[in-house]
Amino acid sequence: MLVSCRLLRIRPLATMLVAARCCGHGIVLLLLAVTTGHWARGAELPADDADSTAATAALDADFRREVQPLLAKYCVRCHGPDEMSSGVRVDQLTGTAEERHLNLWKGIQRQVDAGAMPPDDEAQPTAAERKRLAAWIGRALDVARQRPRPNHGTIRRLTVAQYRNTLRDLLGLLEDFTEGLPPDAPSKDGFTGDAETLTLSPLILEAYFDIAERALDAAMVDEARPPAIQSFRMELGSGINPEPCPDQLILGANSELLPNADFVVTEPVLDKPFAFEPRRMRTAYEFIEGYQGNDTVRGWRKYDSIYHSVFACIRGTPGYPKGQAVAVVPQGMLLRPAIPSEEVFGQSNTYGPMANFKISLRELPVQGNFRVRVRAASYDDALLLDAGSAPQRPASGQVVANLSDSAENNVTIGEAGIYQIDVERQPGEPTGQLSLKLGDRQVASTLPEQKGATTSDEAQATAFALTRLPAGDLEVAARMGNEGHPRRLIFTRVTEDSEAGRRFRAFEERRPWLGVYLGLRRDCGSTLARVGAAQPVARRELTEYVFEGAIRDFPSPDVEPDNVNYLAGIREIGVRSEYTDGRDRPRLWIRSIEFEGPFYETWPPISHRRIFFDSPSRGESDEYAREVIRRFATRAFRRPITPAEEESLVGVFRGSRVKQRNFQASVKDALLVVLTSPAFLFQIEASTGPQAEDVAPHELASKLAYFLWNTAPDERLLELAARNELHAQLDAQTARLMRDPRFGQFVDEFASQWLSLEKLDVVAIDAARYPRLSRDVRAELRREPAEYLKHLLAQNRPLRELITSDYVVVNEMVADYYELPDRPESGLAFVPLRHGRGDLGGLLSQAGILAGLSDGRESNPVKRGAWLARKIIAEPPDDPPPNVPELKEDAAANLSLRERLELHRNQKGCAQCHAGIDPWGLPFEAYDAAGIFRSGREDDTRSKLPDGTDVADLNALKTYLAGERIDQVAFGFLKHLATYAAGRSLTYRELAVLRGEGLKLRASGYPVQDLVRLVVHSDPFLKK
Amino acid sequence: MSHAPRMDRRTVLRGLAGVSLALPLLEAMGREVAEQTPRRFCALYTANGMSLPHEKNGLPEWSWFPQKEGKDFEFGKSTEPLRPFREHLSFLGGLHHPSGLKADPHLCSDMWLTGAPLHNPKPGAFNSVALDQVVAQHTKQHCRQPSLVLSIDAGVGFLSRTGTISYNQEGKPIPAENNPRRVFDRLFRGDRASLAAQREELQHRTRLVDAVVESARALNQQLGQADRAKLDQYLTSLGEIESRLIASEKWIDKPLKVQDHSHLDLDVTSESGRPGDYYRNMFDLIALAFDADITRSVAFMLNREDGMGISDTFPLKLGLDRTHHNLSHAGDKDGQLAFARYDLFLSQQVAHFLGRLQEYRDASGTVLDNSIVLFGSGASTTHNPTNLPTLVAGGRNLGLRHGVHLRHPHARLSNLYLSILRSLAIEAESFADSTGVLHDSIFTTV
Repeated sequence: MLVSCRLLRIRPLATMLVAARCCGHGIVLLLLAVTTGHWARGAELPADDADSTAATAALDADFRREVQPLLAKYCVRCHGPDEMSSGVRVDQLTGTAEERHLNLWKGIQRQVDAGAMPPDDEAQPTAAERKRLAAWIGRALDVARQRPRPNHGTIRRLTVAQYRNTLRDLLGLLEDFTEGLPPDAPSKDGFTGDAETLTLSPLILEAYFDIAERALDAAMVDEARPPAIQSFRMELGSGINPEPCPDQLILGANSELLPNADFVVTEPVLDKPFAFEPRRMRTAYEFIEGYQGNDTVRGWRKYDSIYHSVFACIRGTPGYPKGQAVAVVPQGMLLRPAIPSEEVFGQSNTYGPMANFKISLRELPVQGNFRVRVRAASYDDALLLDAGSAPQRPASGQVVANLSDSAENNVTIGEAGIYQIDVERQPGEPTGQLSLKLGDRQVASTLPEQKGATTSDEAQATAFALTRLPAGDLEVAARMGNEGHPRRLIFTRVTEDSEAGRRFRAFEERRPWLGVYLGLRRDCGSTLARVGAAQPVARRELTEYVFEGAIRDFPSPDVEPDNVNYLAGIREIGVRSEYTDGRDRPRLWIRSIEFEGPFYETWPPISHRRIFFDSPSRGESDEYAREVIRRFATRAFRRPITPAEEESLVGVFRGSRVKQRNFQASVKDALLVVLTSPAFLFQIEASTGPQAEDVAPHELASKLAYFLWNTAPDERLLELAARNELHAQLDAQTARLMRDPRFGQFVDEFASQWLSLEKLDVVAIDAARYPRLSRDVRAELRREPAEYLKHLLAQNRPLRELITSDYVVVNEMVADYYELPDRPESGLAFVPLRHGRGDLGGLLSQAGILAGLSDGRESNPVKRGAWLARKIIAEPPDDPPPNVPELKEDAAANLSLRERLELHRNQKGCAQCHAGIDPWGLPFEAYDAAGIFRSGREDDTRSKLPDGTDVADLNALKTYLAGERIDQVAFGFLKHLATYAAGRSLTYRELAVLRGEGLKLRASGYPVQDLVRLVVHSDPFLKK
Repeated sequence: MSHAPRMDRRTVLRGLAGVSLALPLLEAMGREVAEQTPRRFCALYTANGMSLPHEKNGLPEWSWFPQKEGKDFEFGKSTEPLRPFREHLSFLGGLHHPSGLKADPHLCSDMWLTGAPLHNPKPGAFNSVALDQVVAQHTKQHCRQPSLVLSIDAGVGFLSRTGTISYNQEGKPIPAENNPRRVFDRLFRGDRASLAAQREELQHRTRLVDAVVESARALNQQLGQADRAKLDQYLTSLGEIESRLIASEKWIDKPLKVQDHSHLDLDVTSESGRPGDYYRNMFDLIALAFDADITRSVAFMLNREDGMGISDTFPLKLGLDRTHHNLSHAGDKDGQLAFARYDLFLSQQVAHFLGRLQEYRDASGTVLDNSIVLFGSGASTTHNPTNLPTLVAGGRNLGLRHGVHLRHPHARLSNLYLSILRSLAIEAESFADSTGVLHDSIFTTV
């Protein structure tokens, strides 16, 4: 009980601390905005320490005389130790304008100015008293703003992402070991890299120990023992297997397996530059539980065939909307794009897309990297014509294959080019699947029912497909249904520039995108995760595509080794042609799929050789151990290690040797200490006193790399730091880092946190209302803001394009979601594209952002307004006070949204904040909860902004922001960038300087790369 | 109008989350309290739901859920054996996992104790952490074993037909043990060789932690005037880990509590003998492990979904005419009655367990009063993942107020789990998809 009381007393202090940190600096920024010119001149910056101390002393004296009595008289009863109304307590405020109290002071000033506090039913201060209080607070904020920040260096833990990337780069391991780490909490600015919020607990530290152990075990190998490597290949093609498995294979309910003759599984001997043991898959099993249809069947049965261990499995093929989902031809397997299940069934499920091909198998390695190699090509395909397309009129040069007597015939194509194929059916055969062979190519599709058909000889032709044919003899074969065949096929040449010709050319230039997945089979489908990114398949010739991953990053089915259930513990390797928006594209032709794992390029692997590097003293000597430890620790600590550190680590090694641990295990012990030391786990900027100092060269190398790469510095940066040249080469290195692919790690992370994109991950979208906002589309929309930002940064575009632009950066899925008039032909890749639309361009109208700022059913102007105020113009509102009463439903029942907001705004206590939020949010009202523009909302989008400007809609707001308020937008961007880079909230004073510096880029239009450079050169970044 | 916030200990904790100095104090406080009173948790899962006979069959008295609600509820015929514990237990109706509605119904045992969205799994994920493992994470430093994971079948089964209800922090299934003798040997008979190896391992880890402490101290001295709060946090955490290792090593030497084991019959297995003998011995082992404070977290899967494993045949062994899975599908009067009779059998087993927990005493009350026992199923009737049969027993010293049958229509099972965690003095913000604690229920200190 005693303890709780003590804690209770801590509470108000804590609240204020949190509040101070949370609310950021924006409230005061409102003030700053007014005095921008003043700060820009920088006339009163910086105050020196003596001035500041004197000013604070005077302030404190006045506080005791004039302010404290007023607070005691009018405020403390409700906002004191007993009541702490709204969690606010004023009796502990001091007269020195402490940084942690500034937001509370700002709040008090606002309440007092507006006359909102004290409440009407309480004793009211006189006008003079109000004035005195407000004046003192104004002075206090001024003093605080000019006060230099004490510089005590920084110590901040690596974020989970930084830790993961650092470990990966240090050890050369693909595997992600951080699964068990709790996610970092975001700071009020939205960043996880804030030193304040990056706390450490025994739980996290225990996880670091555990991860270090696992990662080192994975990195080191027993050099003397050749590795065991599993590898197999599945080749596909109709009738390819001369000795197919004679059993009827069943892999669970609704199992759809390729015919046994259409695939071959072999375990080829690998060609590796080192000795290894092939790990052949087990084929002999005895199971008691199996399935027959939907029933469990019990009874022991022995199996001994690789075809009871490796299956060729397809799921979800029936009902493909156009053509066959999967076709096996002599040359291999042809896959159409895998339509996500929700597009077909209207809800997400685990059965996976339609169709997806999977190798289902019993055994994969338990750890290490693996490679999947797929021999694939873009099929020389025919474009199936939609039902109702017009057949070609009779014309000269038409080639006709007469099939009335036989399903096969030969024709001669006179001229190479694009041909339309029209079909004349046999009388009385109005519908059915038509399979066509043209030479060694195949295409099949269900013919639409023929209206008014037709027993007459004058059968109507049905338009079927477009294809490109070479000149010369062509073997034609055609089947209707199981046994029939059509009467005639008519080949009509179309010119390249005709409408049909243009359509076909666009079709044949499109690429299928090959995606590879790994995971596990479940009775109700699969749990699969993509291996690397999908790859475009451009060539018509079979080419090898390689996908690599770390096996432990993928779900595994976890059964015991003595499992006796035929269906349990099945792994799956999925191979798909990726779906974008349903447009026609050539089929993905797969010839073979090969697996190798664990995959080693060399033996010992690179991860091992990075630790046990070549050296004249290589062996099991203490001397070599010392070299290994020094080198590893230097890379891990991102700086040279001190002699004391070296001795201490070598001491760990020696201690383990004394305890009879072998050489390698003893080295591992020392490295484990490295990986759990603060010098590895933290970014440290040491300080000798409260005055500002330059960050040391190695500290700068780390700061730069963690800012622009989200990972540890590379050798080049460390080298420059060691030579003390990094400060001098700051611009060149910044430019190099921005050109590096790792820069993408920064943009993804920064965009996601700055713009609160994670909100889209958690909002529950009403699927019935917004069926197009499927899970897959959401994932692409979530990428759009970062891809847009990447484009702006790469091209060094002016900052106004953050707000408004005549182009978007989209892939086929995002373009389809926006229903753009011009569709990109970029597959899954994001490319810039003119949108030609009034409702798009810039971040503010991106659907992923807007949908995240809804409740999944309705748009939400308050969320969107607060987001804009906070993120884009950095004029954040206060957090809602605790215990906010909900608007009474009955009071608001018959009011429009605008009226409801007004009602809310007019409530005492709400008014102050909402006046700074709602006007920014109303212009977004033309965009629904799914982020799509809807017309006819002119009445809802009108808004009078807090500064009195009237805007009619979001476009007007964009114009206003990108024009008159561009300085404020630039400041908002700078503030977030600098806060992210410094890893802490910036003080009022630092922000004021930043604003002033930023204005220097106004004349050049605020190019975004220059803004990044400005941050790199700013004091919060370079000083400690 | 003023809103004086009522503050409890948790509000304080949340408010303090960013303040590093206060945390060690709280942890110290938690440890002190926990050492006085072992707070324990035991999850008991039964597959395929319970008998809730159709109205047309005219068997209302055989419904597993009591007929009446509130304090005046009456035990049905299938829960009659639990009557002596009326003031130590409550029936909670209406609960469910929202994700359960969307998932394949065979997944209900996989997600019962985790609440994971298995209909839409996170890429790369298998499941998510189970309630017993969250408890274990917070209680392991006070006892010899973090947790005890038991099941009718050994191992893990497989996804959608799981053989264990316990999943670790990464969502990987924890293999269950099913053999009473092996469980006994592991819990009560550490052999010399394995103890020596265990000690060596602990000492080795302590040595490494010491080395890290040394390197951190050295670094601390180099930092000059730097703000050291973060490093203090690190050192405090390190100290905590070290003290846990030392505490673990102490257990090796500490003699086990002297107990009477004569009532155990360790030759019984799930395959041989009568089902009742098997369950009784397993429950006796759990009660002994609680009594000796060997572990504070137990998960026991009594039987498996969908006709998997040996437990499917138990009703036959008891003279009922269908297997467990088939009984659960029964819609006819005879079948539903037989299914209820199997519930009666399970109630007898649970009653035996509660009786044991009441016999053993801690310094402050009976073991039952210091333990929360959760008994339930992932389906109300087969494949119906709503209104999950749920019984909570024990924990009167942990703020639970019993003797009621409450309905929480459409409430989240995860909210119950969060309430259980809070009652065990585990300051979790949330569990799985919880939206808060269970309101107006049997928990008074959450």
